[in-house]
Amino acid sequence: MAAFIAALLNSLEFGLLLFLIASGLTIVFGVLGILNFAHGALYMLGAYFGYSVLHYVDLPFWAAVIVVPLAVAALAVVIERLTLRPIYGRHPTFGLLLTFALLLILDDAVRLIWGAGYHIVDPPSLLKGTVSILGAVYPRYGFFIIVAAVAIGVAIWLLFTRTRVGKTVRAAAIDRETAEALGINVTALFTLVFAFGAGLAALAGVLAAPIRAIGPSMGERIIIESFIVVVIGGLGSFPGALVGALILGAIHGFGGRWLPELNLILPFLGMAVVLLWRPQGLLGRSA
Amino acid sequence: MRRLIKSVCSVVFAALLLPASAFGAEPIRIGAIYIMSGPFATYGQFARDGIELALEEINGQGGVLGRKLEYLIEDSAGKADVAIQAARKLVYQEKVDVLMGIDSSGVANGLTPVVPELQRPLLITHAATPDVTGKLCNKWVFRNSVNINQHMKAAALLAKDLGNKRWTTIGPDYAFGHQSWEFFQKYLKPMQSDVEFMEPMFPRFGSEDFTPFITRTISAKPDGVLISVWGGDLVNFVRQANNLGFFDQGFDVLFTLGGATEVLTALGDQMPEGIWVGTRYWFLAKDTPRNKKFVEAYHKRYGKYPSYNAQNAYSGVYTIKGAIEKAGTTDPAKIAAAMENLTVDAPTGTYTVRAEDHQALVDGYWGVTKADSSYPIRILDPVRVFPAKQITPPPAENGCKLAG
Repeated sequence: MAAFIAALLNSLEFGLLLFLIASGLTIVFGVLGILNFAHGALYMLGAYFGYSVLHYVDLPFWAAVIVVPLAVAALAVVIERLTLRPIYGRHPTFGLLLTFALLLILDDAVRLIWGAGYHIVDPPSLLKGTVSILGAVYPRYGFFIIVAAVAIGVAIWLLFTRTRVGKTVRAAAIDRETAEALGINVTALFTLVFAFGAGLAALAGVLAAPIRAIGPSMGERIIIESFIVVVIGGLGSFPGALVGALILGAIHGFGGRWLPELNLILPFLGMAVVLLWRPQGLLGRSA
Repeated sequence: MRRLIKSVCSVVFAALLLPASAFGAEPIRIGAIYIMSGPFATYGQFARDGIELALEEINGQGGVLGRKLEYLIEDSAGKADVAIQAARKLVYQEKVDVLMGIDSSGVANGLTPVVPELQRPLLITHAATPDVTGKLCNKWVFRNSVNINQHMKAAALLAKDLGNKRWTTIGPDYAFGHQSWEFFQKYLKPMQSDVEFMEPMFPRFGSEDFTPFITRTISAKPDGVLISVWGGDLVNFVRQANNLGFFDQGFDVLFTLGGATEVLTALGDQMPEGIWVGTRYWFLAKDTPRNKKFVEAYHKRYGKYPSYNAQNAYSGVYTIKGAIEKAGTTDPAKIAAAMENLTVDAPTGTYTVRAEDHQALVDGYWGVTKADSSYPIRILDPVRVFPAKQITPPPAENGCKLAG
């Protein structure tokens, strides 16, 4: 029983963190039509900024959680206006090449600024230590990730379904020309959405910093897993990102615990099965 | 008159071209290939630190054969094809006399068969795969660092003394993790007939969360766990293991590369005390003047203590110097021939590069982690040095057939 609880908690923590990261990726694709290869690098920037803010400026963790995503979102605004804006509506390969170039630039920039070594960040003292549930011992911070990710997910969903801004964004995603004809400033909206996606990635980075070693190219692994999540869930689908991430979380937590020999291929197997059976993803719209 | 002016101009021009230095003729050039980008960039950086310190010392004492020793460094990016391209560029374009490098075993396995085409000696200072001095060996490739066989033989000797009955492993799911376990079993079984090897676990290399493997190991109740997870993965592993009470279970934990300074630096006092960790060089283990001088000079220049990769690259440069001086020339074939049976006085100890398979007889290091207020990281106390002769298997065992 304890083993099951531990595996469940681990699956939820892993999956929900991945959901936070992947949701930014899928939102940006859904609205802008750009598959952002540099999304993992933005997550990495969040973690590194978080490290610097906590280590050098000595801000409390809660302040970092607010400041860092805003900083990365501001950087994303600059990136979007200078590099992405000219290529909307062009062939998708432009977006892939451009964001891949951004990834390389960000990776090297981080390495030049912070060096190539590893760093760690401690959880805030309130969230240190472990909790025992039905015999399973689990870190307090893990529970925090689960709760925080659910709260953020709900907030995003409410944002897109209940607020005017959210509905405007969805309208622009569905039909750009009509939205423009109705007087919506789609150009500004796109910048906002890209910054939002980047901010989400960076927020995930700060939240992940206390539980992941901070090192160069730490976004590499994350971007591959995020792609698997959004492909399984459906490109552009926000609930799809949740479903995909939870599936990957379960594969990691339960598969790793009881089928460790398969842990390398299971996520890719899952993706292949979904692509064969339902190519648009589990919750994606048919082409 | 015009002819006079022309010849004066030519002489002046030629004189301007001649480097005005204390060294004679052209510099000797080393081409280095290490991982300079991506998640393992820290190892390339360490190697570079070691190389530059060695060059500064050597050139300060007159260079090699009266010539200045220089180096160029290329990024392998951890990929064999990139490394091969880099090697070709270094040899054909930059005209280096000797090659050194290689962090990744995969890259080493890819590059080694290509080296004979390049006709330059390659000194491997990090990659631990047995194959480059085993079934892939050739007359141009050498290694001055501890390989997996040596490291695991030392681990097995340590395990024998610990006397545990049931061993398991957690290692990264690629050659290094699998081969570490394979050799550990191979060497321990004959020494301890009643040892039982449980089901091994190989999480994905670069995995960020080891929780499922940690909890699985705890419930399997082994007596000892051999962990070959390394680098950034090990940093994650230790922190997660701390949270889950892995170190309080009562079984012996052996971290095969836990004594690496980049891991100890990142973890600080989150690395538990009392754990056996291995490394390919420990800066405090040898009390020799050679080692003390190196550690002091390194610390003075870089503000931190030398990692194994830095020492290996540093002594690699001295190995190359020794070979060139022994050969008396920079003819690459003669340098390669001179490297056989070459003895080098390095911070890690005096070692000889064996002629039969080109593997240097270097000592292995294991130690118990301990806090010490004079150092910013956990140190190893006690340290166990495993002499090279004790841990290096005979050449006949590794399948190297060097052409006569």
